[in-house]
Amino acid sequence: MRLFSRLSLRLLAFNLLLVFLPVAGLLYLDVYERRLLAAQERGMVQQGRVLAGALGGGSAIDPAAAAALLDRLDRRVEARLRVVDARGALLADSSRAAAPAAAALRAVPDRKGGRPRSARSTRDSLLYRFGAALYRLWERRFVPLPPGREADSYYRTGRPLLGPEVRAALEGRYGAATRPSGAGQRGVTLYSAVPVRDAQGKVAGAILVSQSTLRLRAALAGVRLGIFRVFLWSLLAAAVLSFLVAATLTRPLQRLADEARALTDRRGRLLGSFRGSARRDEIGDLARALEELTGRLARHLGFIESFAADVSHEFKNPLAAIRGATELLAEVEDPADRARFAALCLREVARMELLLAGLREITGIDAHLPAEPARTVDLKALVAELVEGLRVRAGGEGPRIVLAGQDGPLLVRASPERLAQLLDNVLDNARSFSPPGGTVTVELAPAGNGARIRVDDQGPGVAAAHRERIFDRFFSHRPGDQKGQHAGLGLAIARAITEGYGGTIRAGDSPGGGARFEIWLPA
Amino acid sequence: MPPPTGPLIALVDDETSLRETVAFALGREGYRVVQFADGLAAWRSFEQTLPDLAVLDILMPEMDGLELCRRLRSLSERLPILFLTSRDEELDRVLGLELGADDYLCKPFSMRELAARVKVLLRRAKMRAEPEAGGAGRRLERGRLRLDLDRYQAVLAEVPIALTVTEFTLLHALVLHPGHVKTRAQLIAAAYPNDAYVSDRTIDSHVKRLRRKLTGADPSFTPIETVYGLGYRWGGAE
Repeated sequence: MRLFSRLSLRLLAFNLLLVFLPVAGLLYLDVYERRLLAAQERGMVQQGRVLAGALGGGSAIDPAAAAALLDRLDRRVEARLRVVDARGALLADSSRAAAPAAAALRAVPDRKGGRPRSARSTRDSLLYRFGAALYRLWERRFVPLPPGREADSYYRTGRPLLGPEVRAALEGRYGAATRPSGAGQRGVTLYSAVPVRDAQGKVAGAILVSQSTLRLRAALAGVRLGIFRVFLWSLLAAAVLSFLVAATLTRPLQRLADEARALTDRRGRLLGSFRGSARRDEIGDLARALEELTGRLARHLGFIESFAADVSHEFKNPLAAIRGATELLAEVEDPADRARFAALCLREVARMELLLAGLREITGIDAHLPAEPARTVDLKALVAELVEGLRVRAGGEGPRIVLAGQDGPLLVRASPERLAQLLDNVLDNARSFSPPGGTVTVELAPAGNGARIRVDDQGPGVAAAHRERIFDRFFSHRPGDQKGQHAGLGLAIARAITEGYGGTIRAGDSPGGGARFEIWLPA
Repeated sequence: MPPPTGPLIALVDDETSLRETVAFALGREGYRVVQFADGLAAWRSFEQTLPDLAVLDILMPEMDGLELCRRLRSLSERLPILFLTSRDEELDRVLGLELGADDYLCKPFSMRELAARVKVLLRRAKMRAEPEAGGAGRRLERGRLRLDLDRYQAVLAEVPIALTVTEFTLLHALVLHPGHVKTRAQLIAAAYPNDAYVSDRTIDSHVKRLRRKLTGADPSFTPIETVYGLGYRWGGAE
């Protein structure tokens, strides 16, 4: 057996699909992140504008006033505020006095007190790095890097602050940029620059507001790590679940398939049967249905095989007699003996013809009865006619045939010819077993949703052991000298017709001694 | 035709025509024939008088040939019994040790073949009845295997093997020329000298049975070799 069948793989795929839902959440986080960043930028611009309003209005920006203002603001704003003059030279910096610029990027003080969940610790966890590596792999493969994300050489301390956003601000426009923090930092810093105008409305300098997105991204990293952790657990759960489902669903199916393959040999012979199943689910149903199917198939194959064996067996007896008689014909001289063996040959040939006709009849019934036109027949009238015909043919010899039952028609649905054939065979059987001067009684009565026909004779009856077998083809339990006239097919034909119409036929004891044949036919 | 005075043969078959033919053919050979149409009638008669040989059909009303054979064996171990069968699958039961039939013929059979078998069976029974009369008789020895050609008996390492007439003649034909391949046609001619209608398949199933009986006596004794496309060969190295 394969470790993973196709069905198991499909189940695994479905389970994994569910598992990937949190990944979709992960993707949504990007949208969320963009919104947060936009909000952050708005806040920064707001701060810049307020500062620009406070510092503007004069002829030029007073560096001392700017520094004093920033000093006062220090530790009350999260962003780093820088004031530059019209040439882009730094006039004041909110973080100069307090912490080095890099420190602001490393750990941002938490308003609520205490250190935030360290960005490093989250991002250094093995799991996160693994997830990030996978993400980067995906990113490298599918998302081209935007140009211009090189380190911000513009804003190194002591150099003119002439980044594109500051230049835009100095030209009177609003400028913004996002770029990596540089100096080996993995964070991204958001830069916004707003112009400071003098009393004449001319640009006197600019406020550069910068804030690392690290804090925001650290929080998101925590969320991502959580989702990634859930994803990994779900992955494990999906694999385990799929394996369980495989064990309970696909293994029994695989077993059925293996059994089916082992069931027949290359010539199509049945070698065994399905073992069935005690399961109460659909697979159990399938197993039981297959078991039934092979049972029916085996019965049918057995029927065909035994049919061939029966036919060959039945023909061997007359053939043996004919062969012996012809051998003797060639050797004996006595005309009386010769005539005797010639007659014997003819008799046996006639018997073989009878056998053939009977076989044709039976196979014909099995093959054609369902297609023959059936109509509603009054059984009573038909039986009366049949019995009358038998009386005439017998010409006073053989048993008396008596018809019993109430008046009124008794309707069944069948072909009248087949019905006549059925009754003919049963009556013929009863007559042939009747003692001289005996009586055969035919009784008709409604029964169930149909009609019941009882044929009683006064013969020797049917031994209990033979009650089923007398309906088998070629089963004949009569004295040998009658075999010439009875091929042992009459009752087999009767059964074939009865069952062809969905009825039943069985043999039993007649209350008056002798045999009783009871036929039931549906209306 | 003189009135028969020879050995008494019981013929039990429910087929009137066949009985008539067989009885006539056996009568012509000088046997007295008593006929029965079913096993029960035959059994009632056998309880009074045993025939010298019984020819039994298998499928019969009242009591079938197998049951009759079993009962006959309880009366006599030596009475030769020949079966007439029309079903191949019955042969193993007939010829198995449980029933101990001496030989059989498949219908349709030749009357001459039947007469020949009856003759062999009666002679074999007579030889067995006579305690080693006239010394050893004609014998053929191949190592541990000894064939008594008059009694139709095979003895392997002093253990007698129960063989039918057909099996014995087949064995004899093979043993006679060790190493020589016997074609199926040659074997048929040896085993059924009077019957031209025996198929190759019949020889195959006889050889199969013969092998089984030999290995039954000694599991290591497998002297009959199949020569594919040709026939069989006695390869006993002994």
